[in-house]
Amino acid sequence: MPDLLLDRVDGGPLSLTALAPSVLIFVHADCPTSMLALRRLAAVGSLDVVCIAQERPEVAARLARRAGFMQTVLVDPAPYEVSRSFGVETVPTAMRIDVDGSAGEPVVGWDAEGYGSLLGVEIEGEPRSKPGCVARGLFEEPLGGLDELEDMFERGWSDGLPVVPPTPERVEAMLGGRDGGRSLGPVPPAQGEATLERVAACAVLAGCRPAYFPIVVAAVEAALDPRFNAHGVAVTTQPAGPIVVVNGPVRERVDVNGGMGALGPGTRANATIGRALRLVLSLTGGANPGGLDRATLGHPGKLFCCFAENEDASPWPPLHVERGLEPGASAVTVFAGDAPLSISDHRSRTPEELAATLAWAAAGQWSPFWWPMDDTSLFVVCPEHAALFADAGWDKERVRSAMFEAVVRPAVELRRGETTPLVHAADDDAPIHKWTRPEKIVLVVAGGEAGRFSAVFGPCDGMKSEPVTKEIRWST
Amino acid sequence: MEYVSPIDERVRDPIPLADRPSSLEGKRVALLDITKARGSEFLDRVEQRLREHGAQTFRISKEIFSKPASVDVIEEIALRGDLTVEGLGD
Repeated sequence: MPDLLLDRVDGGPLSLTALAPSVLIFVHADCPTSMLALRRLAAVGSLDVVCIAQERPEVAARLARRAGFMQTVLVDPAPYEVSRSFGVETVPTAMRIDVDGSAGEPVVGWDAEGYGSLLGVEIEGEPRSKPGCVARGLFEEPLGGLDELEDMFERGWSDGLPVVPPTPERVEAMLGGRDGGRSLGPVPPAQGEATLERVAACAVLAGCRPAYFPIVVAAVEAALDPRFNAHGVAVTTQPAGPIVVVNGPVRERVDVNGGMGALGPGTRANATIGRALRLVLSLTGGANPGGLDRATLGHPGKLFCCFAENEDASPWPPLHVERGLEPGASAVTVFAGDAPLSISDHRSRTPEELAATLAWAAAGQWSPFWWPMDDTSLFVVCPEHAALFADAGWDKERVRSAMFEAVVRPAVELRRGETTPLVHAADDDAPIHKWTRPEKIVLVVAGGEAGRFSAVFGPCDGMKSEPVTKEIRWST
Repeated sequence: MEYVSPIDERVRDPIPLADRPSSLEGKRVALLDITKARGSEFLDRVEQRLREHGAQTFRISKEIFSKPASVDVIEEIALRGDLTVEGLGD
């Protein structure tokens, strides 16, 4: 056996002779049998197995991570000299090497008995055998590897829809001269570091224009603020996801839609800014649905949910001003919320009636008998509804107060199914409100000029997740 | 093709599991209530059973189930306890 030096995925070179005695397993990332073998070996536990991947270090690291393979991983990239010197024609191929430099009989493909005798353990479970794949270097690979869009899915860099591959050129353009090494902090739950370069990679994947990047950065900063509780929102069995509301001059500068169809598809900025934040949480933060994201159902708005406030159509101070910023500032406010519920009201002619309609639509939020909720309900008030309130001279405070007062029931009617300790402890006729206080009702104006359809997003209840507003800075 | 990864690819060392005791006799067991509904009732019963096996127990709570335990809570468990039982879920 020649004494070859190979690079480790997580460090410097290692001599093969120094590793003996051990069992070598040659693999590559395009081979499902390689993945199977690594996973099964990982499950067997601590053994002297050394993986030699016919890959670049980052691909080898990803392969090992996905397989849960925690032992030594070395790389044998093109032209695969080590693989050739061992005569490897198929992956996986495994063999024992000894201190005297001799290599034992190879086990080719997946063969549970063969691996068992190689390692001196019993390997249980199905399948018992599976043919391997042709080793790299023995077939002509298309220039640039696989179809790059398929490659993105294979890497798991997706939310289920095709993405834009984050080439260094695209990421550099997204960064726009910013320091890619600067970190916005660790992203829960997996605590991956949100360097600007990774955030930019997510923005590219999502399909953002570079002009959107400052908004994406501000949204990530808001989501990583401890008050938002990104950890709880990410891993909960609830369906909640982040909702991004954009305010200020930036809306027009990059065309974030706050008008017709603001909550729907069709606008690049809305779709891709919201999607970029989701990808930062699910890829950099590791909250992949079905993995660390434990949502029982989820909801379609977890693909993206971003819209502008229609400040021109609003009779009230915009959300970011209400939350303490200057009118000339641009800002994002990030909420944690469930899917929106549409509220039709084409009949109310008084502000009292309309406030009651809007508020009662939210009475079933979280759970129909769970009163009061101590979390934020985000109401998106359409321009026609906002105008009705404005014509009556009602400011936001008045609307909020009327909505709060409208939704109240005696405790006895709420003692069914999932209800609160407060309801259980209250006298039968004690009045219980749907919210703990009016401030839990947040109002923003958005939507087209025609049609009396408002909407409400339910809260991420019990999470102690608060809305967080961050100013958008153009140079970072 | 070369791409910029959106993922933190650093390989982290696995954290080994602590040794398991052969007996509960005289062991100090932290009962961690994560504040999920009725978790304390579950821990009451666990506490009773642990004491029958000779263990000493103490109760400790997280601020809220949806957030990781604070450093203070983790340190107190590490200082005062040999073992921890955590009541997860509803």
